[in-house]
Amino acid sequence: MSNSTPFQFPPTYSFPPFFTPQPNSTTRLSQLQKWSLLIQSWCRHHRTYRLSLIEAIESPLFHNSTLRKRIPLSEARNILDWMAESEEKGGGGRRAEWVDGTNKTIAWVWWRRPEEWAGILADWVENTGQKNVVLTVYELVEGEATMSQEWHGMDVDVMMKSLNVLVKRGKAQVFGSEGQEGVKFF
Amino acid sequence: MLFKPLDLSTALRPSLLPDETLLFVQDAVGLYEGKYKIPHYQDGHAYLTSHRVCYVAVEEPRKHSVAIDLKDIDRAEYQSPRVQNSAPVVKPSASALVNATWICPICTFSNPIPSNFDPFTATATNIPPCLTCGIKPPFTTVLKAAIAAAASSHEGTSINSTPLGGGQDTAQSLVSCPRCTFVNHPSLHECEICGASLSGLLETPNSNQHRAESPAPLIHLQGSIKNTEISDNIKLSFRGGGEKTFYERLKGALVQRKWLLYNAPPVPQQPSPNTALPTNGSVSTPARSPAPGIAGLEQRGLEARRNNEVVIGNAFEDLEALMASAKQIVTLAETLARESGMGDETSSETSAVLSESAAALGMVTTKDMLSSGSENLYLSELSRNLAEYLTDDTKGILQKEGGIISLIDLWALFNRSRNGVELVSPADFQKAAELWESLRLPVRLRRFKSGLLVVQRYDWSDEKTIQQLQDWLLELQQIPPAEPAPWDWRQFGRAITAQETAQRFKWSVGVAAEELEMAEDRGILCREEGIEGLRFWGNHITSHDLESSITNLVI
Repeated sequence: MSNSTPFQFPPTYSFPPFFTPQPNSTTRLSQLQKWSLLIQSWCRHHRTYRLSLIEAIESPLFHNSTLRKRIPLSEARNILDWMAESEEKGGGGRRAEWVDGTNKTIAWVWWRRPEEWAGILADWVENTGQKNVVLTVYELVEGEATMSQEWHGMDVDVMMKSLNVLVKRGKAQVFGSEGQEGVKFF
Repeated sequence: MLFKPLDLSTALRPSLLPDETLLFVQDAVGLYEGKYKIPHYQDGHAYLTSHRVCYVAVEEPRKHSVAIDLKDIDRAEYQSPRVQNSAPVVKPSASALVNATWICPICTFSNPIPSNFDPFTATATNIPPCLTCGIKPPFTTVLKAAIAAAASSHEGTSINSTPLGGGQDTAQSLVSCPRCTFVNHPSLHECEICGASLSGLLETPNSNQHRAESPAPLIHLQGSIKNTEISDNIKLSFRGGGEKTFYERLKGALVQRKWLLYNAPPVPQQPSPNTALPTNGSVSTPARSPAPGIAGLEQRGLEARRNNEVVIGNAFEDLEALMASAKQIVTLAETLARESGMGDETSSETSAVLSESAAALGMVTTKDMLSSGSENLYLSELSRNLAEYLTDDTKGILQKEGGIISLIDLWALFNRSRNGVELVSPADFQKAAELWESLRLPVRLRRFKSGLLVVQRYDWSDEKTIQQLQDWLLELQQIPPAEPAPWDWRQFGRAITAQETAQRFKWSVGVAAEELEMAEDRGILCREEGIEGLRFWGNHITSHDLESSITNLVI
């Protein structure tokens, strides 16, 4: 699912130096922060959960055709590396995570982290009085009841990660075989 | 003799007159009048030039600096461990030559030097031959004799005026001949034996007595001693050594009398015939055939060459003769340099400045000018010298380079302006440049992040540079770019390159690149690398107005 309105890029996107890695560490930090925010809002706008870098560097996100400026693959990896790092280690607060480990071609972009999704799911269950009701994961993601919810159409892997967070907290139980999972909220 | 006020240059050194050259510098010198110390003049630099002895105090140099013209100095004495410049008796140099003689190398007859003979303008043409044997003497013989006579005339008077033997009454009135030492009767005006003039010697006993009566110090606690008359003598007390060299060079300068050169005519235009003249008296000028056309031009060239030959030949014959001919040789050398430089049409503006300044740069500090072992003094003098060279408005080295020049460029420029002699080693040069700060001179050495050393004015700072850059960037936000830009130029302005910056501020490109990176380092600028090369923008990445707009977008 994607919105019909075009994505509104921030003003920095049309600032040519934004596409060059800055040597000054202060400037570099701001640059990375702005890129992180831009990638997150881009992914949220397009309801993207896993970002394929190979595709993304050709997309308007990393390629500004008006300026004829682009972010090369290596620099895109640097940005996502920074996003994946925790804030304590000087990173972007784990707003990304590599899906394929060291290959670094596809990354989860956490415009909402699994913990945040778990909170939202728990609230929804609470508000709709579905405690102790068994739901299938397919229902949760694609069902008509969740049409108005933000996670509708969500990547199943992300949904599973979020549910696992709830399981760890003891608020849900996941059962069933691969592809046929059901979930029960407490 | 007067203590004259002294003009100081920007580097707090004496500013020299045209043709004046620096001979020696010594630090830690105190000044005395007679036996008495002059207050505030007890720690300073003594500069010996070809025209003056200058004194510049370390504390408050602009207030406490004086000069004494060499032409006012009667004689210099060496007093262990002090040099004493004694009382002034100013005499025109012509009168000193009246009783000078030259000895004919052939027949040893003492010929008088013509009274109109001037050692600084005379050439080989106008010397009369020996009165006895009729052989024309070598030019240098006459010249040396004239110089020696000029130098010894004053010393001679003081020596000869001392009483001879025991008979006090009679001895005082007797006068010994300066040439043959025969003791003449005081009423005689010429020596009985050799005919030398005695007139000048008769007055000296009086003046000597008069001098002995008034040795009083006139100045005690006055603030300024400028323009005060010195009654007897002044002493320079060398507490840091160097007095022997100073004394030697002072004596040399008194003999050379460079101050007379000031109005000397240039190289004589008339060629001197090398062949001996037929007879004395009538000096027949060689008939200059007014040959037309190329033959005439060739002949004139030949004459000019012959003339130069004579000048050079005379000059190198004897060192003293060389000193007397210095003016001519310098003129000649300059002419040659100008001619040889003419072929190079493509020389840039900087090299034009260079050749000009090479001639104008009279005041150079060399290791030779300072006593050995005084490395620190050499460096500090070199440092002052450099500061002067840089801030000289007539050359405008710093202005032309936009107020900033790399140390290497300056080193090359400075050494080339020394015409290949007394070159400064890079290590000395850097050390001297590092002294600017501690000597409080109006230039500074600065090290960029990359290690590039540059020279700039002392009041120049990074903040000023940044201010200039920011003003420029703001300006660019007002002017629409030449080509329609895909970005919002009202907000971002446009990119600047090192070349543009160099052009705008008249810096060299290397310096401009360093300044831009300095500004980037401070977060004022940010860079854009593209196919056009490295360009710089105002830093709109860290600015806060954009940050808020992005944050709004996310929430």
